[in-house]
Amino acid sequence: MVSVNMAVNLGGIAMRNPLNTASGTYGNGWQFEGFYDVGTTMGAITCKGVAAEPWDGNPAPRLAELSGSAIMNSVGLQNPGVASFVEQYGGYLQGLRDKGCQVICQVAGHSIDKYVRATELYEELAPFASGFEINISCPNIAAGGAAMGATPAAAAEVMRAVRPLTKRPVIVKMAPHDVAEIGRALEDAGADALSLINTIPGMSIDVRTRKSRLSRPTAGVSGPAIHAIAVRMVWECAKAVSIPLCGIGGVSSAEDAAEMILAGATAVSLGTVNMYDPACAPRILADLEQWVESQGVSDINDLIGAFEC
Amino acid sequence: MEASNTRLWPFEVVSNEPIAHDIWRLVIASDMASEIEPGQFMNLQVPGDGSHILRIPLSFASSHGPSGTVELIYAVVGEGTRRLTMMEAGETSTLVGPSGHGWRLPTASGRSLLVAGGVGLPPVMAAARMLAEQGLGFDAIVGAQTADRHPEAQIDLLRGLPSNDLCDCARRVLVTTDDGTLGIRGFTTDAMAKLLEERSYAQVYTCGPNVMMAGVARLAREHGIDCQVSMERMMGCGFGACACCNVGMSQGGYALCCQDGPVFDAEEVAW
Repeated sequence: MVSVNMAVNLGGIAMRNPLNTASGTYGNGWQFEGFYDVGTTMGAITCKGVAAEPWDGNPAPRLAELSGSAIMNSVGLQNPGVASFVEQYGGYLQGLRDKGCQVICQVAGHSIDKYVRATELYEELAPFASGFEINISCPNIAAGGAAMGATPAAAAEVMRAVRPLTKRPVIVKMAPHDVAEIGRALEDAGADALSLINTIPGMSIDVRTRKSRLSRPTAGVSGPAIHAIAVRMVWECAKAVSIPLCGIGGVSSAEDAAEMILAGATAVSLGTVNMYDPACAPRILADLEQWVESQGVSDINDLIGAFEC
Repeated sequence: MEASNTRLWPFEVVSNEPIAHDIWRLVIASDMASEIEPGQFMNLQVPGDGSHILRIPLSFASSHGPSGTVELIYAVVGEGTRRLTMMEAGETSTLVGPSGHGWRLPTASGRSLLVAGGVGLPPVMAAARMLAEQGLGFDAIVGAQTADRHPEAQIDLLRGLPSNDLCDCARRVLVTTDDGTLGIRGFTTDAMAKLLEERSYAQVYTCGPNVMMAGVARLAREHGIDCQVSMERMMGCGFGACACCNVGMSQGGYALCCQDGPVFDAEEVAW
């Protein structure tokens, strides 16, 4: 019988276990209810990014499968706007909270004003939100998104604008570059936690037509192929900041999750794996508990950042 | 928000064999057989290659709840379906399903017209069975590029499906090929235009290449006939989680093929 403590605290979000979900790979949770009981299984879920007003997202095709355990997407944050999101999913998401699963609402925007407006709307309309994740790293939108998180100064400006609007924990979703420098700037600007990494910008060209295999020239690469890169960035960021991290990138097993934790992640998100192995979370969680026990500790927190180099 | 009925199921291959050039018929045993409805689809995992991570979305031609079997017809179009041809009887894997919204019965009384192009045949077979089980009459058009890509046994099945509808005494099943090597030379829409001159229909059901379905939808609209289309998209999850399989809507914005479709009213789609 495994009897280790799996509870962690992600910048003020108390999670029963470290498992979270990468925004955009998990719908808003309800799609997974046929695979397992989301509310009694997950430590947290991170909902699809939502802006103040509805966004259509990018044209088709939005997806390409690569041959090296990876996919590319250019969804572009299709979302119904905060008010409609709350109306459609608020009841379900409150139900998750009632079962002990934390609900992290993701904030999308094209400009500082839009991030502010979306956060204000969430504050007003979404009592079920355990905290917010500010997405300053989406590579698939023309304005805002990754551009807002490209430099320490720009990233900190978004964080400083959002910080006074809520007392709930604020996480920032980071792009896969300069994570130490940008992480420090975000910590100074008041972020409670950081999540990394977002997808890595890539290209896939159909050599017969000479056109992109997706509707945009570049798109975000995700999947097991990027895991090692993500672990390295979590490690670099963890050394630079003192706020907790949520590790994201190609996690498809408990071993992958354990690597993230050893590199310095307090929580770990399942992303692309949800698309092809949608019932994986309970298995990964059970295996992760066994790993903690096998390390001879009784608390998973003792293993956060325990990488030995 | 609706409750999700999509789950993970084990399956076992009962048989897997070619029935035309690059067209295969796969029969699987799965407890999902009694749950899936005509026009819905499933996402199969083909074991043995970790480099391609996504499942393969496939519609089905028939399902039989009591025996727990599902019949799929698929075209070999890429690495995933090529590996699927190598699965042999007795091999096991998992599938995710049933996914999406399937065909609806006709709302008006009268004969239906089924139009299938290429790999669009399986869901059209499922629609034919749905109509036959309800005793509703139909005609059908099945198109392919060449004669060797026509699974003839399936076309014979379309001709032979029972019907107790008196108006279905002379069911017409037309075959077309782009090169004229079998049936009518030309596209399914050419055959459809001819049938529309001779007969009236209450409902059109179609699945095939996008350009073909756009033509079928246009003809149906010109004749004032309701038309249901089964759309195909590259899919990530297949159950509404990733928003990768968007279909442009005539009213603006996008629907998700896997969750809101794959069957749409042709008038909803921005062709």
